[in-house]
This record gives sequence, C-alpha cells and structure tokens, in this order.
Amino acid sequence: MHADSTDLIPLKVLIAGGFGVGKTTLVRSLSEIPPLLTEQEMTTASVGVDDPGLVPDKTTTTVAMDFGRITVDGSLILYLFGTPGQARFWFMWDELARGSVGAVVLVDLRRVDDCFPAIDYFENRRLPFVVAVNRFPGSDEYDSEAVCEALALPDDCPVVWMDARDIGSSQETLIRLVEHALSRTAVTT
Amino acid sequence: MAGDTASAAGWVEPRGGRVVPVYAVTGGRTRANDGPDMPVEALVTATEAGSFAADLQLEYRATVELAASPVSIVEIGASLGVPVGVARVLVSDLVNAKYLVVHLPPLPTTAGGGPAPEILERLLEGLRAR
Repeated sequence: MHADSTDLIPLKVLIAGGFGVGKTTLVRSLSEIPPLLTEQEMTTASVGVDDPGLVPDKTTTTVAMDFGRITVDGSLILYLFGTPGQARFWFMWDELARGSVGAVVLVDLRRVDDCFPAIDYFENRRLPFVVAVNRFPGSDEYDSEAVCEALALPDDCPVVWMDARDIGSSQETLIRLVEHALSRTAVTT
Repeated sequence: MAGDTASAAGWVEPRGGRVVPVYAVTGGRTRANDGPDMPVEALVTATEAGSFAADLQLEYRATVELAASPVSIVEIGASLGVPVGVARVLVSDLVNAKYLVVHLPPLPTTAGGGPAPEILERLLEGLRAR
C-alpha cells in the first residue's frame, strides 16, 4: 500500500463527559462542517482493563458518535470526536485515544459524578485533558479550586469556565487544551 | 476490484438508497486485510487515476469523488452512511488499486503518545488565527 504522510497531517481531539452535558453542542460550535454521525465498530479486547487474558475472545460492538472537523491550515486537519458518554463504552475508547492531542472533559456542576469515568480514563493513560465547566445555571457559585478539589484533579490540569454554545468560548477551550498538551511534551521528555 | 460487475448493467441508482448492501460490495469484509492500520482520522486524496473512477461501483466511485479534496475515513463512512470499518475496506481497496493515496497521522514521538511539539505548535498557531 502506498502511504504518504509527509504533507497532510490528520489530528484528533476527544470531547468527553456525561450524557447531555453538551458534547454535541461543543462539536457543533467548533466544527466547520455540521456534526456528522458515524457508526464505529470497536473491539472489546481491552475490557479486562490491563489484562487481555481475561477476555479470550475479541468481540466487536458498534456505537454511534458524532464528530466535526477544523481545517487548521493547508496541511493540518483536526477532527473532534464526541465520545459516547455512558461508562459502559469506556473500554472502547483506546482506538480513538491513541495518538490524539488530548481531550476536553465537559462538566455540568449539577452532576459532577458523570465526568469521573472520563477523568479517570485520561489520567490513567496520561492523556492531556482540560476540564471545561459548561455554564449551566448555578455553575458560577463555584471557583476552580473547589472544582479541582471536588474532581480530585492533578495540579496541572486546567479548569475552564465556558459556554459550549458560544463559538469563541469553545475555541478558547480548545486552545487551552493544545497549550496544555504542548506544555506536557516539555515535561515528559 | 470493482468496475467489473453489476454497475455496468445500467441499474438505476435510487437517490438516498442503495440497491446492494454495501457489505456485498466489500465482499463481507469489515476489516482491511492488508496495508498499514488506518485510524479513523487517516486522510485520503484521489490520485490522477481517480479521474478514471467513473466505471467503479457506486460506493467506490463515491469514495473517490469525496477524496477530490482531503477527507478522512470517518467522514467517508458518515457520507456514505456505512460503518467506519466498511469505509476502511473501501479505501484500502482503492489505495491498492492506486485511485487513492493515504496520509497517516504522524507517528507519536512524545511519552504520552501524542503528536510532536512542532505539530502542536502549528496547531496552536492555526487555531489562534481562526
């Protein structure tokens, strides 16, 4: 097969969080195309966390997820994947997470528990992520220190207050993630 | 490969529908059986041979047409209304037949497996300029 990776470079970012927290809204705010729905087959080989021996047979599940696209410049194209919110789909993320820039974890402070699985997932895999508090009513009563504590976030994890319906706010959140990912590359070398 | 079967018989392609299940087009394959493992964001572009794709079966032809400008596996799947695995098989066949060229993501160079700092810097610059 002829593969050429010198000119065009695809990149990806995951948009995670609980059901109804605004993942699709954020993808729509950022994407240059209307968010599209894809059916993705994912293998469940890693269901036993780190021991594939627990699962002798690979099985395949199909899940639907939406995605968007940003043509960054002449050769960089960034894809945004709104990842399935339910915890039972978590184990299927590895394929998507591999090689990604990082993740935006959307949080609704009225239902913080919903974002724990996503935060655990990205922390365990050392994938850069930012916590984006989507401004639902009441979210301004908390400061980022309280959020850091409530979510037991690592010290360097950025917390952003944002509105997923607002293009500028969504854009700023994405930029914070890339800045964070970049700073992590300096630390981990 | 395509271009040798039913499409030449002059069936009428219904708008928004498909006559033959796409799994029949891919011979029941949902996984590409050779070549590098293509992640969902891998991009493809049509080669010069792409302009000769008119005789291909519907899904193959549509894929080549989509690749007139850079397009990813996942976008092809969504546009054709087929699962990503099927899109990957279509692309793989078309790459083998030299209608398409694949542009894979950069190999991870950082400890976390993400893109290299130079690429992240370009990404940042591009996003700030939007």
